Order: sequence, then C-alpha cells, then structure tokens
Amino acid sequence: MRQFPIVILALILAFTGMAASSNKGESSAATPIVHATDPDALRALGEQRFRANCGRCHAAPQKFPPRAMATVLRHMRVRATITDEDMRAVLFYMSQ
Amino acid sequence: MGLKLFSLYQKSRSLRLRQAILPRVLGLLLLQFFAPAHARSQTPDEEKAVPILSGTLGFLPSVTAGQTLVDTQFNPVLLVPIGERWLVESRGEFEGEFQHQPNGTFGGPLNKHLDYLHADYIANPYVTVTAGRFLTPFGIFNERLYPMWIRALQPDPLILPIATASSDGAMLRGGFPVTGRANLNYAAYVSVASIGVAGVESERHVGGRAGFFFPGPRLEVGASWQKVLQDDRKNAIGLHMAWQPPAIPLSMHSEFVRSNQGSGYWIEGAYRLSQVRFWQKAMRRTEFVARGQQFFSGNITPDAAASLGLPGANTQESDFGLNYFLKDGLKLVGSYGRQFSSAGNFNQWTAGIAYRFVLPLGRGGNQ
Repeated sequence: MRQFPIVILALILAFTGMAASSNKGESSAATPIVHATDPDALRALGEQRFRANCGRCHAAPQKFPPRAMATVLRHMRVRATITDEDMRAVLFYMSQ
Repeated sequence: MGLKLFSLYQKSRSLRLRQAILPRVLGLLLLQFFAPAHARSQTPDEEKAVPILSGTLGFLPSVTAGQTLVDTQFNPVLLVPIGERWLVESRGEFEGEFQHQPNGTFGGPLNKHLDYLHADYIANPYVTVTAGRFLTPFGIFNERLYPMWIRALQPDPLILPIATASSDGAMLRGGFPVTGRANLNYAAYVSVASIGVAGVESERHVGGRAGFFFPGPRLEVGASWQKVLQDDRKNAIGLHMAWQPPAIPLSMHSEFVRSNQGSGYWIEGAYRLSQVRFWQKAMRRTEFVARGQQFFSGNITPDAAASLGLPGANTQESDFGLNYFLKDGLKLVGSYGRQFSSAGNFNQWTAGIAYRFVLPLGRGGNQ
C-alpha cells in the first residue's frame, strides 16, 4: 500500500508517455496556427483564445514586452493548463 | 503446512521481484518521458523568455462583527525561465493583520510563508512535470482566483481551507484538445508532506483534478479528488464550474466540496457594467459582484475547524461587492457580506486597493 502513490505516478507517466509518443508524428496538427501566414487572422485568433482562456479568471492585462510575455505565458500554461496551441495564439496576440 | 510455506515463499519472491523490477520500470518510463525524439520546441517562446518579478500589493481595511482589521499584503512572484522547457516559479506571502489595540494603536502579527516554490518541466504539449512545493490543484479558487488582483471579492470562500494546503512533492499536469469543441485539462499529484493552513498540520496525500473546457460557450466543468495517506485516510471530493457567456460581460464561478472536515459550496457572479449606456467611461471600469455560499460542519471539533480556518458551525453567507479598475492591475475594491450561523450572525465590510506589478529582469527584458 505504501507503493500506491508510486504506482499511480507510474501509470500516469506510462499513459501520458504513450499518448505523447503516439502523437509525435502529428505534433504539428495540434499547432496549425503557428504556421499560418496572415498576421491579422493570427491576431484575431489570439484575441479569441485569450478571451476564452485567460478571461476565465481575469481581465486583459496591458501588453508586455515580448520576452516578458513569453515568461508570463509559460507560467500561465502551467497554472491554467491552457493548451499548447492556445498558448501560441495568445502569445502572438499579446506580443504583436 | 506445506501449502502455507509455499505461499510464504511465493509472497517473499513476489516482494523481491517487485523491489527489483519496480525501480527499473519507473526508470524506463522516466527515460521515455524525458527524452522526446523530436527536437521541435514545445514552447512558443520564439522570443527568449526573461525572468520576471511580479506580484500583488494590497491594503484592505475591514470591519467584521464590529472589529476593525487592517490587512496589508505583499505577495511577490518570481518566474525564472531556463532554456525552452523549464520554469522555476515561486510566490511568498507577507501579510500584516493589524487590529485596534486597547491603548489606541494598531498592532498585530506579521505572517509570512512560502506559498510555492517549484520547477516545471514542459515535457511535451500534453504533459508538464512539476516538483517542489506547489499550490494543490483542488478546485479552482486556490490555484487560479486567489491573488488579490484577480479575485472579485476579497473575503475567502468558507470552504477554501479544505484540501488546499500547499503540497510538497511532484505533480503531472497538462491541457490538450480532445475534440474540436472541448479541451481536457488534468493534474495528478503526490504530496510527501503538506503544511496546513495554520502551519501546524503535516500530512501525506495523493489527488487529482480533471476538467473539460468548451471554448464555444466558454464553459469549464471539472472535478477534484484528494486522499490523505495517513491517520484516518479520508477522501475529499470537489466539483467546479467556470462560465463566461460570450454575449454578456458576466463571469460565473462555483465550487462544491465534500470532506470529513466539512462540506459546502459557493457560487459567484461578476458583471462588468460595460453594456450600461450612460457614464460609459466609468461604467466599463466598474464591476458588480455577488456571491452566495453555505458551509456544513464535518466530523471534527469546532476547535479543530477553527485551527484550519473553517467555521465551527453550519454557516450561510451572502456577499456583494463593487470593484473599480483604475488602470491595468490597479483596482479599488469594496464589499459587504452578512454571515448567518448558530454561533452568531454578523456583518463584514471591506474596502481597499489592490495593485499587480510586473517587472522584467535581466538584459533584454524590455524588448
């Protein structure tokens, strides 16, 4: 029973590891927006994703310098468990 | 007798086998996990991330049951990105709770503690590994809505202390789309030692949270679970909801929790008056908030409940607030609440100011 947490962690690691490896070939499918070329479309999408994700908890902050924004979004990716794709869109919107 | 001996032999053999194999299996899994074959960056940091010092300053005088309390808070947050996949983050809390003393002055304790200090490793788009002291992902208030500049009402929900003490251990978490219309987010954690709200409790626990977010209607629903791995080994379960209807500037949040320490719920709505047609410049900076909540005592003594920060009896509370956003990160807050309980009814008034700051550190921070 003492090994219960370790077993749980191992199962989760196995599940997520397998999920990640099975999707390695299609990783770009999860981030199609970063390859789009229309900045206006990207910006609009970023704003939409910002309102949907970040707006769940707080109002829109001012736009920070891009390097600072990259850190803030990495933090928010962990804290708010926003998706990789959404984070890329929001970063483009907030840093342009 | 022979069968018993054989069974004992099998048990000890099985134990030896597990002790020998388990670390190897874990090692292999970790190797697979931390060594992705592809070199593509999993973070969108085309811009090189820089360290940031952020945080909140708050000054919140309140009057609760006729007793004046001047609450002053400083919550610095340090974010240090390392490479493309790592982030070290930390938040401290310094809080002065000053009360009117018999000699006419204000005085009181200055509380300080470390809310979290952990390293995050973004393994891939689906998984982030966290190790250290972290905010326990139980419900949504503790992790997402707690900072003063974010929360719509400054008084804590009654059920906040349940299953939300900071955890010391490891966590896996992430979020990814499962269909075109829904994202799944999850967190699973093990705490080897937790420090309770009152700073005296210590426990081991395991738990998790999962939620679905529907970007179309901007609705998130989810559930949390936590099991204490010592003493009475009790479970706590929680449900949460967040909803921002796209058509109106309304933000709804709610949590429910059931545990040995108590049960209850809160539901809160914050409405930004940006659609009001008069005094638009002021109205779009103004937010009206209302929260209703109930707490039901659990199977612990009133003294134990008080040490955790929970009410000692069944309690109902209604709060109403008004926030005015002076500028980004700076807001004036005010609220009124009334609590009904068999231990006594009372009013709570709060007024103050909350400020959120962000300071990029190091070279290139302003680029």
